[in-house]
Amino acid sequence: MRTLRWLLIPAIVLPLGWLLLTGFGRDPREIATPLIGREAPAWTYATLDGETLSSADLTGRPYVLNFWASWCIPACVEEHPVLADAAERLGDRVAFVGVLYQDSPTDAEAFLARYGDAGYPHLVDAAALAVDYGVTGPPETWFVDAEGVVRARKWGPLTDATMREYLAAIGVSG
Amino acid sequence: MRGWIALVGVALLAALVAVVLLRPQPEASTAERARQVASGLRCPDCQGLSVADSPTAAAQEIRRQVDEMVAAGATEQEIRDHFVARYGEWILLSPSTPAWWLIPFVVLLVGAGGLGWWLLRGRSDRSPDANATPLPDAERRRLHDEAEALDA
Amino acid sequence: MIPTIGHTAVLIGLALTVYAAVAFVLGARGGDQRLVGSARRAVIGSFVAAALGCAAMVISLLTHDFSVLYVARNNATTTPPFISAISLWAALEGSILFWALLATGWASLVLWRQRNRHRQLMPWVGATLATVNAFFFAVMTWPGNPFARTTPVATEGLGPNALLQNHPFMALHPPLLYLGYTGLAVPFAFGVAALVTKRLDEEWLRIVRRWTLVPWTFLSLGIVAGAWWSYEVLGWGGYWAWDPVENAALLPWLTATAFVHSAIVAERRNGLRIWTSALVIATFVLTLVGTFLTRSGVVASVHSFTQSAIGPWFLVAIVAALGGALTLLVWRLPELTGGGRPSSTISRESAFLLNNVLFLGVTFAVLFGTLLPLLVAATSGETISVGAPWYNTVTVPMFVALLFLMGIGPALPWGAASWRTVRDRFAVPVAAGAVVAVVAFGIGLREPGSLGILALAVIVAGVMVDEVVRGARARARGRGEDPATATWRLATRNRRRYGGYTVHLGVLVMAIAIAVSSGLSTDRTVTLRPGESAEVGAYTVTHDRLVVAPLPDDARVIETAAEVRYDGPQSGTLRTALRDYPNSQAAIATPAVRTSLGEDLYVTLLASDADSGAVTLHVFINPFVVWIWIGGAIVGMGAVFAAWPERRLRTATASEPMPVPATPSVESA
Repeated sequence: MRTLRWLLIPAIVLPLGWLLLTGFGRDPREIATPLIGREAPAWTYATLDGETLSSADLTGRPYVLNFWASWCIPACVEEHPVLADAAERLGDRVAFVGVLYQDSPTDAEAFLARYGDAGYPHLVDAAALAVDYGVTGPPETWFVDAEGVVRARKWGPLTDATMREYLAAIGVSG
Repeated sequence: MRGWIALVGVALLAALVAVVLLRPQPEASTAERARQVASGLRCPDCQGLSVADSPTAAAQEIRRQVDEMVAAGATEQEIRDHFVARYGEWILLSPSTPAWWLIPFVVLLVGAGGLGWWLLRGRSDRSPDANATPLPDAERRRLHDEAEALDA
Repeated sequence: MIPTIGHTAVLIGLALTVYAAVAFVLGARGGDQRLVGSARRAVIGSFVAAALGCAAMVISLLTHDFSVLYVARNNATTTPPFISAISLWAALEGSILFWALLATGWASLVLWRQRNRHRQLMPWVGATLATVNAFFFAVMTWPGNPFARTTPVATEGLGPNALLQNHPFMALHPPLLYLGYTGLAVPFAFGVAALVTKRLDEEWLRIVRRWTLVPWTFLSLGIVAGAWWSYEVLGWGGYWAWDPVENAALLPWLTATAFVHSAIVAERRNGLRIWTSALVIATFVLTLVGTFLTRSGVVASVHSFTQSAIGPWFLVAIVAALGGALTLLVWRLPELTGGGRPSSTISRESAFLLNNVLFLGVTFAVLFGTLLPLLVAATSGETISVGAPWYNTVTVPMFVALLFLMGIGPALPWGAASWRTVRDRFAVPVAAGAVVAVVAFGIGLREPGSLGILALAVIVAGVMVDEVVRGARARARGRGEDPATATWRLATRNRRRYGGYTVHLGVLVMAIAIAVSSGLSTDRTVTLRPGESAEVGAYTVTHDRLVVAPLPDDARVIETAAEVRYDGPQSGTLRTALRDYPNSQAAIATPAVRTSLGEDLYVTLLASDADSGAVTLHVFINPFVVWIWIGGAIVGMGAVFAAWPERRLRTATASEPMPVPATPSVESA
């Protein structure tokens, strides 16, 4: 009976310690998304070049949707070469689409002029699309496979390794 | 005299409670209903604000959608489900599971119950304390007060 | 040169606190007063070291020494001197340095003042405080070095966090808060010392009374200052959002307040030993948990830092402090049981105990709400939010119950109360409360919660006034004094009680102000072109012009300001702006607040159009907000009054201890 009270100590300390420990390594701002494995939202928007692009145009092709902004420094600057490189190498097998997040076309074009334009289209005035994808802030990148199912999401800036990994998830290797 | 005053006071309060609780609630306008729904949704790029209180573009877009849906006749639950399908449970400013709302009250009741049990147990269970000095209660209080005066 | 001095000072501080901890323990066990004396001097030395370190950092900031990483990250050549100086606590590493300064300050103060008394307790108090401070110096030596260098040395720094520069309160809020946090280690140290030395009667509670009340005052003022700053700066029109950083400050405040109340009962009856010990332990551990939550990056907050190596260190400290203190508690459990049993009747005593249960209930609720997202994420991977509506729904009923207790508690006798006494004391206050509530309902306050709190607050105020008047009248009659003198003399001879009344009065004022400001507040968002007006509540707001210009004292910041005229209960002009800081993504709002005793006119600039000069303004009319801050000040004054030393009776100090008779022959009072 007397030894039981000593058990109080680990009973209180260990769960608290474990709980606080689990927080490490996870970014609390990254929220779990319910879209993985579900059909990707349909969309039609104007692009930076003045054309119109819709998800229907991309049926049968896997595509990468990257939400970004010119004011998103340094994260969007960091991942820009990763996207540009992948678009260049694999642009024929997978479509790349940028989406401006709370940004003006002028600032976006200045960003692309400074850091390089990889030549893929960027959607403008797409606030509703950001809501459909549950985006909380740039950069967020979504990977949709050829059947139009969302397979992966990268929260935060992409790296070459994560790009490869998520491209593989939508059936694009290399 | 005091008795009458007390009675009047209690009666007034009771009347007020009745009026406040039983008033027919005026039919909320569309704008008010939209605001009500919006105040339960979290602004995606703020810290803990609802979309009703937040000026960001993302919050405005969500409010716009909420206004549309309320005008089209959607219920609050349908609107909440619509956004949960996109953002997950996180978009709800407060958790939807009832358990999370009840637990603090349950803990409080357990604590209060524990206190009550402890107090009542003391009544029948006054065992003499082996370590206590054999000082009567009044003595102890007087010594305490004197010590207080010296040490203040 | 200066940074090296600073870093060396930190290392010296570490060495001194480690030495002090060891020397205190050895001195306590061996009864060696010289060792204890040297340990005490080492603690004072650690305070000097911390002061040197802070001075070095402030100088580095003022001279814009970008070879120091902390300065490069939090300072720029354009930063004004005042902001540079207070950037000491702007970010993680500097704030720990500042913390160490205050913590070693408290330790030095308590050890110095008690140096000739309580010779059994003090070495263990010193050992505990020295260990805690050694931890902070260790954090500054390894994972969080404030004087870490950076090469190559940049020519320009990032500049301070935009929010820091917006309001002078940033100079006030962290120091007040930290004085509270660091000071609460002292009662904890006394609790540990009492447990170790088995001197568990009410002696330690009596000593610790003032050493708890003073940090409690600072913490209270710091929390209120934080709410005020948040209201004036953040632009959403509110003052408390239940953000983790706010909760982190509230949690130890709740348990410390519970402790202050239960100590009164425990002292009187030499009981509640387990409970009071547990409360001081909980208070200190909660300051560590709070610091951990806001500095480890584990929960998202307004105040978040990115995850760094400091987090794991704090986690270890929490586990060690909690585990160690609990072990001590369980070990001494046989000694702790016993003591007087409280009466189970309705009495002031049981009201105090119920007060504690409620405070702990709120503490659990707030802790639960803050940690729940973490728990859910850890167990199911789901992300949920726990926002203000949850906290308000859960804590407000508990606060209302506390308000009720605050009213009836002092009106109840320590022994059992009869219904007749209760009815007599409460008749007039209840009637007054009802009348006020009906009047408020009449003028438009419809929110049931606010009405309830208002009625309750008036009832409680009535009971309190009755208490004071009753006591003053008795004294005036007995001594022939006029009421004012009688009240003053009574108050200064019962500082604890009357200080307590004043604190409660302050709480009441705050409760009424919060109830009215949340129930009767109105707001409207309007878009105005230059010259256009809008009506908001009783005010007419006219937009004059839009001005875009860099700030006079920091040219890197571009300010977009709307100049607005307003007319109504208050009239005049105001300037509400959005400031674009180079190192911040979003523009920072600088709301304009015009305060009067009746209401605040609060205007935030949401958006502007440079071409047309049009602005979108969010205008709030917030009634009674200033009374929240006034109430906070009353709380502070009451606590100071309570803690103020009473006139000392002259005591004779004997050169030898007097022989004490085996059975005291004291006559019954």
